[in-house]
Amino acid sequence: MTKRTKGDLVLDTAVYFFLILLGVIMLLPLINVLSKAVSAEWAITSGKVGILPVGFQLDTMKEVISSSTFIRAFGVSVGVTVVGTIISILMTALTAYPLSKRLPGIPFIMVLFIFTMLFSGGLIPNYLLMRQLHLINNLWVLILPGMISVFNLLVIKSYYESLPEALEESARIDGAKTYTILFRIILPLSMPVIATIALFYAVGFWNDYFGPMIYINDTALKTLQLYLQDVVMDASAANAVNKSVDDLMNMSPEGIRAATVVASTVPILFVYPFLQKYFIKGVLIGSVKG
Amino acid sequence: MGTGVTDLKRKNNVKRVRTSSAGKWRLAWRNRDYYVLLIPGLLFLLLFKYTPLYGVLIAFQDFNIFEGVRGSEWVGLEQFHKLVQSEEFGRVFMNTLLISVYKIVLLFPIPVFIALVLNEVRLMFFKRTIQTIIYLPHFLSWVIISGLFVTILSTSGGLVNNIIQSLGGEPISFFVSNEYFRSLVVFTAGWKETGWNAIVFIAAIAGIDQEQYEAAAIDGAGRIRRMLHISLPGILPTVVLMFILRLGSVLDAGTEQILTMYNPVVYETADVIGTFVYRIGLGKMDYSFSTAVGLFNSVVGFILIISGNFISRKLLKRGIW
Amino acid sequence: MKYKKGWSLLLCTGLLLAAAGCGSSGNNGNGNKEAAEATKAPASAAATTAPTEDTAKPELKSLNLWSKDDYNTYPLAKVIEEKTGYKVKYEMLPADKAMDKLNLLISSGEPYDVITISGEKAVYTDYAKMGALVDLTPLIEEYGPNIKASISEASFDAVKVDGKIFAIPNSSSQFAGADLMIRQDWLDKLGLKTPTTLDEFTEVLKAFKEKDPGGNGSSGAPMSIDGGLATTANITGAFGIGTSWNKLDGKLVPPPLHPGFKEYLTYMADLYKQGLLDKEFAVNKDATLKEKFTSGKIGVIQLPWYDIPSVADALNANFPDAKFVYLPALKGKDGQMGLGMSGGFDRLTFIPKSAKHPEDAIKWINAKLDKDTFKLIAIGEEGKHHTYKDGIYSPILPLFTDERGNASNYLTGIDEKLYPIYWQARVQKDARLFAGFSYLNNELPAEARIADPLALAPSLPEYSKNNASLNQMINDFAVKVIVGEESPDAVDAFAEKYKAAGGEASYKEVNDWYAASGK
Repeated sequence: MTKRTKGDLVLDTAVYFFLILLGVIMLLPLINVLSKAVSAEWAITSGKVGILPVGFQLDTMKEVISSSTFIRAFGVSVGVTVVGTIISILMTALTAYPLSKRLPGIPFIMVLFIFTMLFSGGLIPNYLLMRQLHLINNLWVLILPGMISVFNLLVIKSYYESLPEALEESARIDGAKTYTILFRIILPLSMPVIATIALFYAVGFWNDYFGPMIYINDTALKTLQLYLQDVVMDASAANAVNKSVDDLMNMSPEGIRAATVVASTVPILFVYPFLQKYFIKGVLIGSVKG
Repeated sequence: MGTGVTDLKRKNNVKRVRTSSAGKWRLAWRNRDYYVLLIPGLLFLLLFKYTPLYGVLIAFQDFNIFEGVRGSEWVGLEQFHKLVQSEEFGRVFMNTLLISVYKIVLLFPIPVFIALVLNEVRLMFFKRTIQTIIYLPHFLSWVIISGLFVTILSTSGGLVNNIIQSLGGEPISFFVSNEYFRSLVVFTAGWKETGWNAIVFIAAIAGIDQEQYEAAAIDGAGRIRRMLHISLPGILPTVVLMFILRLGSVLDAGTEQILTMYNPVVYETADVIGTFVYRIGLGKMDYSFSTAVGLFNSVVGFILIISGNFISRKLLKRGIW
Repeated sequence: MKYKKGWSLLLCTGLLLAAAGCGSSGNNGNGNKEAAEATKAPASAAATTAPTEDTAKPELKSLNLWSKDDYNTYPLAKVIEEKTGYKVKYEMLPADKAMDKLNLLISSGEPYDVITISGEKAVYTDYAKMGALVDLTPLIEEYGPNIKASISEASFDAVKVDGKIFAIPNSSSQFAGADLMIRQDWLDKLGLKTPTTLDEFTEVLKAFKEKDPGGNGSSGAPMSIDGGLATTANITGAFGIGTSWNKLDGKLVPPPLHPGFKEYLTYMADLYKQGLLDKEFAVNKDATLKEKFTSGKIGVIQLPWYDIPSVADALNANFPDAKFVYLPALKGKDGQMGLGMSGGFDRLTFIPKSAKHPEDAIKWINAKLDKDTFKLIAIGEEGKHHTYKDGIYSPILPLFTDERGNASNYLTGIDEKLYPIYWQARVQKDARLFAGFSYLNNELPAEARIADPLALAPSLPEYSKNNASLNQMINDFAVKVIVGEESPDAVDAFAEKYKAAGGEASYKEVNDWYAASGK
């Protein structure tokens, strides 16, 4: 690294100041949700909870985490997310590779993929298709239709295109086959982008509630996000219209909702710091070349 | 396979030479390994994306779920007329475009900027912490975020209005003001998604060969110069890609967000296609109408992506395909 | 079948890893087989169940509304299984977009034996008309003596479609649900009486605003309402529009076509202009409203009685001396007044055509309506879940809440005479809540409550279809007028818009029925 100059110092100060300010603005509202999850119900109802919890208690948190529905849904979500992410990364990384080459027909295939980003058959034909494939009430329905996200495909394809062509050429001269090149040279060099789409996929699978809501009927197979969505949306005005007074009397208090949000969001938050090491430091292409 | 490589290379270098159709086939055959890799992806596309596509036909029907697409009555473009002819459509369409364009113009550059700035941080711990913090709001749903902002911006004791008043200003009812509401929508959307949208650029910067920075440093390039001449060009393909894709969703101004934030007082400035369609469809299960609106949005989005790609190829010599 | 298998095969072989998945996961394999059998089964169901019905009761599949407790593990499931002898597998609809999901399930013929949804008749009528439901009339005749004894003819009439019964209704208890709450301690501090007329009410608001008994500084308005409920309970009654359809000159009239609507809006807009109504009320959701009241910023809100305990807890934690009471029905200038009452049905239970065991489903429903079983389901055992004294059932807490709090979700049809009495045990689980309920429904004179004239109306397709979007229109318009964005004079123009958006058709349909019903 080079020596620090005065200009560097000014730049550094500006950069740190900007980022700290940004961090605070982003963090405060989250702390508020966290505080609500551990505050007394009366304090939440009367809007007393700001940054710090008021009437600190852990009972609601415990109640949420220890409920059997929560635990089961948590397990399902972890399973779907892990399996789904692995399959999706493989499918996407493999499909993107040929798409990054200038070969006959590839632009047309690209358009075929992009077309599906905008046009879809909608709810009913998709439901009927899953029914025909016997995927209703089957956890694979949460994974298979989402195996390739075209967005992620484009991200990884664009990354492949940025890798220097000389790399592949020299490998070919050494006699390496296409698949060898892909697995030995391209993929190891693509760790930053693979980590990125891994994050996107993991968050996508974890946060998906629409799929489970439509395709899963069995209570035992419901995911955590669906559970969360149910708890949060149950209280929405639109859904209160047709409720009987008994339903209204049984409604979860706001503290439970905040605790459910916290309990079902915190696990996925740990994925990012874990993947960060792959894109915090840039790649050294030379190291693979040699 | 050796010849395949040279063919590939030649194609890249001499793009203007039109390969004959026989030549194309030969080129394809020599590179058949690549096409084999495409098979699983194409099967996926066919089965899960193209098979259900007949569903767009619902937009031209008076669809009845019990009769299915085959049994439902065809009504031509009636559903589209219903959308376009309604008294509010002009206003709603303009609001959608305005909010969307504001969001693109104001919010698109910020994540790129943040990624560039973060790259200048040398303290690893600090860098990681900030990265993690700014992506957190993405995980809160709009219902919760909207509730938080109502409290923060309230005129009776909200944080922001307390500050305004202590500086001698008049309190502002952001949520019921046609003057401020769109800004509020853009700001909260930025707050929620900026950190998340920055990830893809952060990763792109990480993909830049570190040797380039070192070489530039030896040549005496300062950090700002390196940012502008190595980092920025390095992530330009990603920036272009993201921008073109963003164009595709121009008619979705953030329905879910606005639905949780707006109220009748600000319909004039905040009612967008998605919210308008939601209100008139309440309790009706009108599949045909909602499919028609979706199709309308998709067609506009697709045209924009195609044109965006075309322009990008003309001007920047690169595109999505 | 071959075609379907082909697809599965394609899926398994074509997709690299999915293949590994299909092979290794027993779950997937079984899923396929089960589903395949399920699609075959309905045809043979009628033949196989008949001879075995006495020896073995089949497992029933029930679809219910969302509940935060899992129906299968909640203690009541076991009780019902023991009493009826039927094992039931419960599934539930999502809390959000429940009807979208139900549409998919019904139209694709999922084999549920019993489906219980909310009392909104629109969806149910649609299904019945489409031929998706089993006609229960003969089944009840044959297997449902308890059902016939428990549910009145009037209730059955209200759910008949083309003269046939397709659903078993849970009629709701009729009561006034919400009223304006006022801070009694603020009134006392200023030496004011509880207002009984609209004019007195206005004066109280003015006094609250000027003398500021809450000590909030001059900026705050003393009253607030929910932005989604701009037609405020009690105040609307003073203008003759206490329910969503009001009697006027022998017709039933919705607010936009009622002269009281304009007067109401003028009154509210005036409150707003004078700073007596929260400037930001349009933004208020339920939670924001309670927050403002319990933090002492406002002194008057609309509050349903079931929310009293949580509001009282929060308010008293902040202000130990605070007291709040319901207002009596305020009299308008012609002596008009009244609180709207709820009515109609809480739940409808029906059997889809795709059910495998329709007869057993009716037998199960019938068994649940056995006098003792019904009581056990509704309020549990005496001495364990409730006590009985002087004709009143009181809950024993916390066991009542733990094991019967969710009971209403399990009811498929109710004993219409006894349930309203049992039901009050639910209201008694908190004394403050019961006091509020009792004030509105027992202490206020009968003329202070206005029954919902549509409570027992039959299925009205036009009305049902447009009701939700029309109500949204009314609310949106009301908010705009109150904040002064539109003038109250715009009501006439709005009424035309309302008619064009389906209001005209609803009006005609409702009044055709009303005239024919001869009330």
